[in-house]
Amino acid sequence: MAKPAASTPIQTILMRALRSLEVRMLGLALLLAVILSLSSPFFLTERNIFNILDQSVVIGIVAVGMTFVILTGGIDLSVGAVFGLTGIILAQALQVMPIPLAIPLAVLAGAGIGLFSGVLIAVFGLAPFVVTLGVMAIGRSLSFIFSGQRSISGLPPELDSIVYSTFLGIPANVLFLIGLYLLAWGYLTYTKGGRTIYAIGSNMEAARAAGLSTLFYSIMPYVVSGALAAVAVTFSLAQIMSADPLAGNQLELDAIAAVVIGGASLYGGRGSIIGTLLGVLIMVMIRNGLNLMGVSPFWQGTAIGSIIILALLAERLINWRSARN
Amino acid sequence: MRPGDPLNRQMIQTQSPSSRMPVRADQLLTARGVSKHFGKTRALVDAALTLRPGEVVGLLGANGAGKSTLSRIISGHIQPTEGKLSFDGAPLVLSSVRDALRQGIALVAQETSLAPDLTVLENIFLPDLATPGRLSFRAMRARANDLLSGLGHEHVLPLEAEVRTLSAAQRQLVEIAKALALDARLMIFDEPTASLSATEVDRLFDIMDRLRVGDHALAFVSHRLEEVFSITDRVTILREGRVVAEDVATSGLTQNDIIQHMVGRDIGAIYSKRKGAPENFGAPVFEVRNLQAAPWVRDISFSVRAGEILGLGGLVGAGRSEAMEAIWSLRPRQAGEILVRGAPIRIRKPADAVRAGIGFVAEDRRAQNIVPDLSVRENLLLAQMGQHRGFLRGYGRRAEKVANLIADLGLPADRLDASLLSYSGGMQQKIIIARWLLTEPDILILDEPTKGVDIGTRSSIYRILQDAADAGLAVIVISSDFEELLGLAERIVVISDGVSIADLPAARLTEEKLTLLAAPRSSTRRNQALLTDLVKAHGGDAFWTLLDGDETICLAQTGGGLSGLTPGQVAIAGETRIPQAIRARADRFVAEADGRRTLLTQMTDRRGHDLGWIGLTLVANANLPEAADIRTRVQNLTRMEN
Repeated sequence: MAKPAASTPIQTILMRALRSLEVRMLGLALLLAVILSLSSPFFLTERNIFNILDQSVVIGIVAVGMTFVILTGGIDLSVGAVFGLTGIILAQALQVMPIPLAIPLAVLAGAGIGLFSGVLIAVFGLAPFVVTLGVMAIGRSLSFIFSGQRSISGLPPELDSIVYSTFLGIPANVLFLIGLYLLAWGYLTYTKGGRTIYAIGSNMEAARAAGLSTLFYSIMPYVVSGALAAVAVTFSLAQIMSADPLAGNQLELDAIAAVVIGGASLYGGRGSIIGTLLGVLIMVMIRNGLNLMGVSPFWQGTAIGSIIILALLAERLINWRSARN
Repeated sequence: MRPGDPLNRQMIQTQSPSSRMPVRADQLLTARGVSKHFGKTRALVDAALTLRPGEVVGLLGANGAGKSTLSRIISGHIQPTEGKLSFDGAPLVLSSVRDALRQGIALVAQETSLAPDLTVLENIFLPDLATPGRLSFRAMRARANDLLSGLGHEHVLPLEAEVRTLSAAQRQLVEIAKALALDARLMIFDEPTASLSATEVDRLFDIMDRLRVGDHALAFVSHRLEEVFSITDRVTILREGRVVAEDVATSGLTQNDIIQHMVGRDIGAIYSKRKGAPENFGAPVFEVRNLQAAPWVRDISFSVRAGEILGLGGLVGAGRSEAMEAIWSLRPRQAGEILVRGAPIRIRKPADAVRAGIGFVAEDRRAQNIVPDLSVRENLLLAQMGQHRGFLRGYGRRAEKVANLIADLGLPADRLDASLLSYSGGMQQKIIIARWLLTEPDILILDEPTKGVDIGTRSSIYRILQDAADAGLAVIVISSDFEELLGLAERIVVISDGVSIADLPAARLTEEKLTLLAAPRSSTRRNQALLTDLVKAHGGDAFWTLLDGDETICLAQTGGGLSGLTPGQVAIAGETRIPQAIRARADRFVAEADGRRTLLTQMTDRRGHDLGWIGLTLVANANLPEAADIRTRVQNLTRMEN
């Protein structure tokens, strides 16, 4: 984001700020919040705000990994299935080992699946869409097999402390989410790896010719994405206290939608972690608001789909205008 | 155009060069007062253009001068904001490319309007494919062959080949045939020579000559001034959207006149020789030995010393770019050694090369150098980031270096956060070069550094490179523009068909010699065969060489080495073993002091270009063959070749 000089008039500051995608998205999120709080008296209550944050945790965590992948110009359709599969792995592991061992095992499993996809995509040059589609099918199938086609309950009760302990009145899972976004933002903005991810998505060949480690940073986002799917399912399990082989069905679509609403280009190279966070919040707020207003859940898809398309259309129109000037 | 302009007086001149058709008064197309605005940008202001049948008009200007805008208006791609066109005496309003084609106006673009997966035949008749009803492929094939043979029978194309398998020159031929299939009377060639080799350019000009004789009106858009002089009858020059010289006879102009009009000021000599003494170069800092990277690079060796600018010359497709990409490990290498300061290094990934102190400005700016979504600052720092090993991006520490560099290079400091794509091609190129200077390399490799760069920025890029060399960098420049290579480099390694065949000081070369040296070996096979035949029939030593004053540059040689000529080497007559023959250049065998005898026969092509001399040297007491017989054979060689 451009930092305007102190002497510039307020109008130019505003114009410059509006040029930044994140600011526009923030505007959209705030607009949405105002509309929803006007339509429902329950929306702007402390309880509901924590509700929204709580509902943002799972999709928010997965969307971070998806942002990494999409920034390189790839896509990860397997996160929902990896979410389900690592949930089953975690639940099964918890039957035989303590929590501090079981969780790393599940996360490692998620990372391993990501590594598998990443190597196929970056080393063998297979299309990300197809590879992760295949991994999605395999993951879902394995989660049914490992679970014996049923939900696994009887998880150790201490697991819920991950979610229900608080710090300064903020639930642990929300704190984790905020910490994760800070970390991801810092990484993507200030490190060589983060900038390499952008450069790969923008022009892989140029990044390689400039001596950047394109192979490593083409694989790494898939590993991050797989690992974060497992982290997300850990929080989910701690809340529901049972693992369902169908869990995370279509989670990948929500995550992709959040990243795209947040302004990332599916061709790679363009997007930001702040945008993704706003995209997640926008999606969750719409769901939450429609629920509060008593709108049938079957209409939620229409609402979210329309928002995605409208957001993209608005961006395109803005870009056309600025290209013409 | 202002009335006081010196070029104005020449507008009346009608004498066109050489034996071309006389200029005719009837105008096919006139454009008057044409303007085009894109938002606030005025791409074209009050432009005018006249095209006549049987004439080639050069449309010249620096990048962004409005040449393309004007040609796109005439060919119906875009509509003018204001202005009048008339065609064949009637007012012309074009609302689409289709309109223009229907009128017989075609734009021969750089291979952009072809469908790569369709065949040559389908592409030639692509507009017909859209018409309802059955197509007769038999009739189309017959017509296509007619069209192509009308362009000269040497231009036969396989009609069933898919267009993507064709060379750039062949694709252009398809474009031209496509325009002819529509009975186009007016053709605009938009920078047609940009991706062609010298031989291919000659062929294209042959075709344009035929079209001119066939009463077509042609417009020729180009950067390359020497081409403008060899093909155009008149020129119209644009600068910053305005016409600064309209419809001026080319014969009355000098290269300097044109540059002055294009740039708006006298930029002096584009190439100014460096002041640094070329004798003082040290040991080689960078050496490549027997590099092989199939299929393009077969055996390439060269070395460059600190402070030296080395040129790698050759035709497009000779394997120069591929060799650089192989060094940079962007393509697999099968063999070869790379030495930096005498020590072999292993380059397994580009980062290895960057850390060894090598910089590489790849050929395709948009595809291989620019990262479009990153800002100018980040693009500048990209190679720097590839070079250092830290975890963080490390921009802060280098802020000062960036500031110094952009001040040195005259880049705008306030637009560092803008997109690189908003800059002109020349400025982009400067920034990419700056990217590598920032890594403080010892060796800088540049592949076609001035491609698509306007003439004003070109000279400043040359200065940057010369300053870098003065500061002790070893600079390697690849260029298909031989004039540029000769003006910039101290030494030139010529590459042909993937083999480095000559290593010569630039001072001893000319564009003609370079062209002959660079000719692909496959196209010289007939000459080679003649040499072998001569040696077989008469014994001794047969060779093909260029002669310039007292100097020889041997291109090929077969036999026992009686002549003392070695392919790829420059020698003055006294250094060879046949000085008398070289000095005499007689129509007969000339004897040397030791009795060996040599016959030299000159080859010229149809356009009268010197193709060098075929020589046969025999021992003192050999039976001399008839000189006339050999001359006939040499002449047959060139007659058949064309």
